[in-house]
Amino acid sequence: MAFNVLIVDDSAVMRAMIGRTLKLSGLPIASILEAPNGEVGLRIIHDEWVDLVLLDVNMPVMNGEEMLRHLRADERTRDLAVIIVSTEGSGTRLAALQELGAAIVHKPFPPETLRDTILRVTGVTDVEYYGTTAATSDHLDF
Amino acid sequence: MSNTTEQLLRQATISTFENLAFLCLEDDNAVSADEPPVDAVVAVDFHGPMRGRLVLRTSSNLLPVIASNMMGEDEAQRMPMQRDALGEIANVVCGNLMPMLVGAEAVFRLDAPHWGTETTDVRSSDTPVSSVRFDVEGGRAQAELYVFAGRDWLDAARLAHATA
Repeated sequence: MAFNVLIVDDSAVMRAMIGRTLKLSGLPIASILEAPNGEVGLRIIHDEWVDLVLLDVNMPVMNGEEMLRHLRADERTRDLAVIIVSTEGSGTRLAALQELGAAIVHKPFPPETLRDTILRVTGVTDVEYYGTTAATSDHLDF
Repeated sequence: MSNTTEQLLRQATISTFENLAFLCLEDDNAVSADEPPVDAVVAVDFHGPMRGRLVLRTSSNLLPVIASNMMGEDEAQRMPMQRDALGEIANVVCGNLMPMLVGAEAVFRLDAPHWGTETTDVRSSDTPVSSVRFDVEGGRAQAELYVFAGRDWLDAARLAHATA
């Protein structure tokens, strides 16, 4: 299976950086979609098949927490894998996001942290992708 | 201001440059006449228990290096993306610094990074509560923390660190 990934972040630089990290991670990526805020992100999810959302928190128009609540309230997207990729440091806000079933990757992140979190939240193991000689975090070549 | 604030600003800046831009910063304590200028300036305003600004200055020759390391060669060719890359670094430094300073329960809102003259003109008479300087890849970087309101939060945090 190859992932269709949606990156929702108001920073074009961060979208490009996360996209580059995904391409270099060795994960099977079918497509990378981008949105500058939660509202556009929801429209894309309505129109396209998305397996995984990488979601910033602080964004204009619709922030990440609002978008996540919309996703969880919709039966079609209730179980969609979501990883929060943010500088958010408030324990209160992070706890609320985790209660909504999101994993957290804190910026700045080493590339292998993002890859390992994706593997964890999608339930896919290294062995499934790389065989019995699976790459480990120590052997990522960025 | 306190050594604690300076240490935390240094820690947040070094960590962000290393992890986002793959650049190692070295402390720059000596000022010499022939060192490269820090002529690229970006700032992030923060609002919460404290209100203020994180200003990040770098030598402009570092901009393509930072952008290339973050996004790859193709995207890094364009000047707007080079500026945005520095802005994103400032944003991440600020976002990480706030809970380090006042604790993880506080909620802050960060404005979008703003660039250049609009940053340097405003409040130019203010003195940063903390400032750190670094050498990096043939250039320099400097981070400054300004607090316009809520400085008592910094004092409380310093006291908490001292008694911990």
